[in-house]
Amino acid sequence: MKRHLLGAAAVAAMALLSQNAFAQAIATPGKDVSMVLLPKFLGILPFDLAHKGAEEAAKELKNPATLQFLGPTPQNSVAGQIEIVTNATTQGVKAIMLSNNSGDQIVPAAKAAQAKGIKVVTWDSPIPSSEGEDVFVAQVDFNDIGKVMADMTLNLTGPEGGEFAILSASPDAANQNSWIAGMKTALKDPKYAKLKLDEIVYGNDESEKSYTQAQALIDKYPHVKVIMAPTSVGIVAAAKALQDEKLCDKIKISGLGMPTEMLAYTKNGCAPQFALWSFVDLGYLAYYTSYLLATGALEAKEGAKFKAGRMGEYTITKDPTRAKGLRVLMGPFTVYDKNNIEAAAK
Amino acid sequence: MSALSGLKRWETLLFAVLLAVVALNGIESKYYWGVGNFVNLFQLSIEKSIVALTMTFVIIGADIDLSVASVMGLAACVMAWTFQQGAPLPLAILLALGSGVLAGLNNAFWIAYVGLPSLAVTLAGLIGYRGVARILVEDRAIGGFPEWFNTLGQQALIGPLTLSIVIFVVLFGFFAILLHASAIGRLVYVVGSNIQAARYSGVRVGLVKTAMFVGSSAVAALAGILYAARLGSVRGDTADGFELDIITTVLLGGVSIFGGKGNLVGVGLSLLVILNLRNGMGLADITGNTQNYVIGGLLILSVLIPNLYQEIQNKWKGRKQ
Repeated sequence: MKRHLLGAAAVAAMALLSQNAFAQAIATPGKDVSMVLLPKFLGILPFDLAHKGAEEAAKELKNPATLQFLGPTPQNSVAGQIEIVTNATTQGVKAIMLSNNSGDQIVPAAKAAQAKGIKVVTWDSPIPSSEGEDVFVAQVDFNDIGKVMADMTLNLTGPEGGEFAILSASPDAANQNSWIAGMKTALKDPKYAKLKLDEIVYGNDESEKSYTQAQALIDKYPHVKVIMAPTSVGIVAAAKALQDEKLCDKIKISGLGMPTEMLAYTKNGCAPQFALWSFVDLGYLAYYTSYLLATGALEAKEGAKFKAGRMGEYTITKDPTRAKGLRVLMGPFTVYDKNNIEAAAK
Repeated sequence: MSALSGLKRWETLLFAVLLAVVALNGIESKYYWGVGNFVNLFQLSIEKSIVALTMTFVIIGADIDLSVASVMGLAACVMAWTFQQGAPLPLAILLALGSGVLAGLNNAFWIAYVGLPSLAVTLAGLIGYRGVARILVEDRAIGGFPEWFNTLGQQALIGPLTLSIVIFVVLFGFFAILLHASAIGRLVYVVGSNIQAARYSGVRVGLVKTAMFVGSSAVAALAGILYAARLGSVRGDTADGFELDIITTVLLGGVSIFGGKGNLVGVGLSLLVILNLRNGMGLADITGNTQNYVIGGLLILSVLIPNLYQEIQNKWKGRKQ
């Protein structure tokens, strides 16, 4: 009995010790940490906002090394991301912040970067297998996004339900795929029994392709009531397609979008409701996480806590949305409609 | 004789451009001179470089093969799909190579025996083979290949060189001999410069074209498999859009789009110029559209400069007379 007690005490002491080991990590400003911010591709607003947030953090941390904001073109996203990760490895940067658009095809390049001591932090979109990745800075819980997408769909169809379709980004975009998976799980709830998913199509985050894909959906499914586009490019293109076809009274667009880009469509009723999180904050948090990891102040393991400037305290946890992998969860997100969009679009 | 000296001029120019790019890279980035970087420089585009070799034959033969990237994707997807169905990987690789040969035979049949233009046939191939690839692998990614396969694709094999680079070097030597020192190579030039004359002088044009297109697709299939090994996973859009980069390289190498002119030395130099340029820009943190802009500009200049030169030379001669 006594031995058992002793054992229990030892376990408790060890637990305490490890608690201490996980004391909150705080960044020491002014260290020279060269970092690369690598979005899926260049030229769209969310990534520019993330860049802004990362720059804000860089300034706060007084990092003398310039932040490199590098990205491929949408047409060359996979090969382009691999090339940039490889060149950054050659340059011997300290951290790569990656919004992955290459599925697991980025793994060999990311592993090679890690082998040279570079921290690979994903944000916005993780590496599906989590190989070659230190930690994923997640915008919101992916299952929550799925639920919000289901809720918005039901809001727009009304209680009688109906058909809806999904217009996604590229077929291998890990984040969109897991949100859609989250939505499918949510749809199993009897509450959504009257919603019927017609098809998932892919616009590859290109305006023109998303536009024609939205048109094709409308032609193919005459009874479709909602097009759910969990991508800021797709949602605008789909809303424009609907507006051009003058179908906004019959079909609604929803999904994830930027308030500044969606203002007109929310006001004219094409897209009455959509959701998003702050990309500025996401860039800021990704930068803090990478800086802490690269300076050795933080270790990428479960339970590690750290302070990310103005955003407060975060904890690294297991990522429940992937088989393996660690994540830092940012959250929460905002649902925009005609009542709050104008303030957000400023 | 004048054509030959013209070719020599072109290669000299490419060589000068190459030296300039290398010098600039060396000044711009301290990371440029390094074995690791040179291996990366080749490795990042090695599959395209391999396909450019056979594309040289096709374009000298006054044809074009737009379906190469789709065949790369097709082979990668056939391999991944059959592997996923439970076939051992070596068998899956053989089937993938077989699918490439079949695609090439299909192209060759319509071009060489039905007599349709290669532009139309291989454009149909570009769409069709990609379609098959997408049906097989859909939008998911297939990975989880055996370790030896990924190792071959990603690790050095001989010294710092990877398997793909070794294959490229071997194929370069083989194709250079085939094109420039064998009867087959001469036939390709004859067919490319004057197909009627070739027919009348008893050249079996159909056979030459079949060899060209089957070779092109088979090598593309091999490149697709190497690409899959390098990335460790395959999806339906693997190698999508690569055909334009490949054709660009060949044209910049001085191969005439009208056929009959050009050589592998020029294409080799063109590869070196483009790869070094891309690498240098990457190390100087220039990416995305700016890179495309610079390489596009280079291609336009490559068409413009020889023509301008010719014009100036003609004017000069005119004045002298």
